[in-house]
Amino acid sequence: MRPLDPVTSKQRAAYGLAFFVLFVALWSWATFGGHVSKTFLANPLTMVQEGVELLTRQGFLFDIGMTIWRVVGGFALAAAIAVPLGVLMGAYKPVEAFLEPFVSFARYLPASAFIPLLILWAGIGELQKLLVIFIGSVFQIILMIAVTVGATRRDLVEAAYTLGASDRGIIRRVLLPSSAPEIAEILRLVLGWAWTYVIVAELIGSSSGIGHMITDSQALLNTGQIIFGIIVIGLIGLISDFLFKAFNAWLFPWKLA
Amino acid sequence: MTTLKIEQVSRTFPARHGNAPTKALEPTDLTIGNNDFVTILGPSGCGKSTLLRIVAGLDRPTSGRVTLDGREVTGPGADRGMVFQSYTLFPWLTVRENIAFGLRERGAPQAERHKVADAFIRQVGLSGFENHWPKQLSGGMQQRTAIARALANDPKILLLDEPFGALDNQTRALMQEMLLGIWERDQKTVLFVTHDIEEAIFLGSRVIVMSARPGRIKAEITVDLPHPRSYKIKTTPEFVRLKERLVEEIRTEALKVAEHA
Repeated sequence: MRPLDPVTSKQRAAYGLAFFVLFVALWSWATFGGHVSKTFLANPLTMVQEGVELLTRQGFLFDIGMTIWRVVGGFALAAAIAVPLGVLMGAYKPVEAFLEPFVSFARYLPASAFIPLLILWAGIGELQKLLVIFIGSVFQIILMIAVTVGATRRDLVEAAYTLGASDRGIIRRVLLPSSAPEIAEILRLVLGWAWTYVIVAELIGSSSGIGHMITDSQALLNTGQIIFGIIVIGLIGLISDFLFKAFNAWLFPWKLA
Repeated sequence: MTTLKIEQVSRTFPARHGNAPTKALEPTDLTIGNNDFVTILGPSGCGKSTLLRIVAGLDRPTSGRVTLDGREVTGPGADRGMVFQSYTLFPWLTVRENIAFGLRERGAPQAERHKVADAFIRQVGLSGFENHWPKQLSGGMQQRTAIARALANDPKILLLDEPFGALDNQTRALMQEMLLGIWERDQKTVLFVTHDIEEAIFLGSRVIVMSARPGRIKAEITVDLPHPRSYKIKTTPEFVRLKERLVEEIRTEALKVAEHA
């Protein structure tokens, strides 16, 4: 091994896989070997059995569907409002000066701290879940997009002006296309964060979803189901991340050229 | 008929962090007539780029004014095309789309945009690269595209700010010939900023020499070399004489800058 020396894609896959093998091996050693009590940690085999049980008998697929819909719904709502606002803030300094202090403040408010308030306002229905995701994502997206748009290469803007572009043309034909890949990347990142908010929202006052299943399993001391739930979350995250990346690459071929 | 008039234009950058204000450009007068090819020659920090940016409308003069055909310049516009030293092609547009940027902004239909863009692609020798992204082009090809992009807008005057400054010597010589060829064929009013003495003589009909700190016009030299010019002219006695003269002018300025640095 030497610093920054590249690896082949085969090696990369092998190393990545090796971690999971090692992880499961260690887990098996701890559980099958009797080093950890069954009450606290189920062994891998039990986890898989519990998972099959969850999927086939307990309607876990419905819970997964509910959770995905909440994340996507709340996230889409946040993006629909945050992207235009972020672009406006990045493009127009007075708008930035007006909104930036508040957004920076609101960004640090933990979405989970709003859950009691949101239950009071919106009940324990779907709206409350969506609002948790919304609050958790919207300020992050606004601020990150504003920074990205504001950092557009000045010489490109000047070049467009000397080619006769109007102020609107600058936004539509320079600021937006030049920040578009970054904006897509920001959305991918924040979608990942939205996943953590949804589980928290489902832990409290919920009757469906992956988070709800996890709370239920906790009451029954079923660690196998809890671990299976967590792994499912991770897998969905991995898949959505992969899809998002592939979509971005398809959308912005000039980035890769 | 195009006339660019620079009248008593000066630029002082305001004080920053307790430093005194920087006088980048003393009040300067310069008139550029129709189809003139004027090169501005000076060491770095002599305010030549500042002057060009003021003409482009990208910077405001502290005093004085610039008029193009009697109309005062108040901001950037399509009548003054600009080519920058840095590579400023829009990376998300292909070569053809980059060249058609100004036409599209003006609302030209797609068929016309294609036709004009392709004509300029041929002129700058980029046939076959119409659908390439800027990233896939060499520096020289990028600057050729940038020149085509500025020309496709049919500006009254073409402003170039050390456009070949980042290119290697061989590429630079080829680019100079290409630009001069376009000018000799199509006639255009051109203001070209450079710190390269040979480049200033080879391209220009007039060379304006600027002095440093504060920037002002120090000398003006008419280049009487016949057109069309080929690279061979660079070794003729007339060319060498002009070069010697300009080397002296520039050297004293460069020394001044070096002493301050």
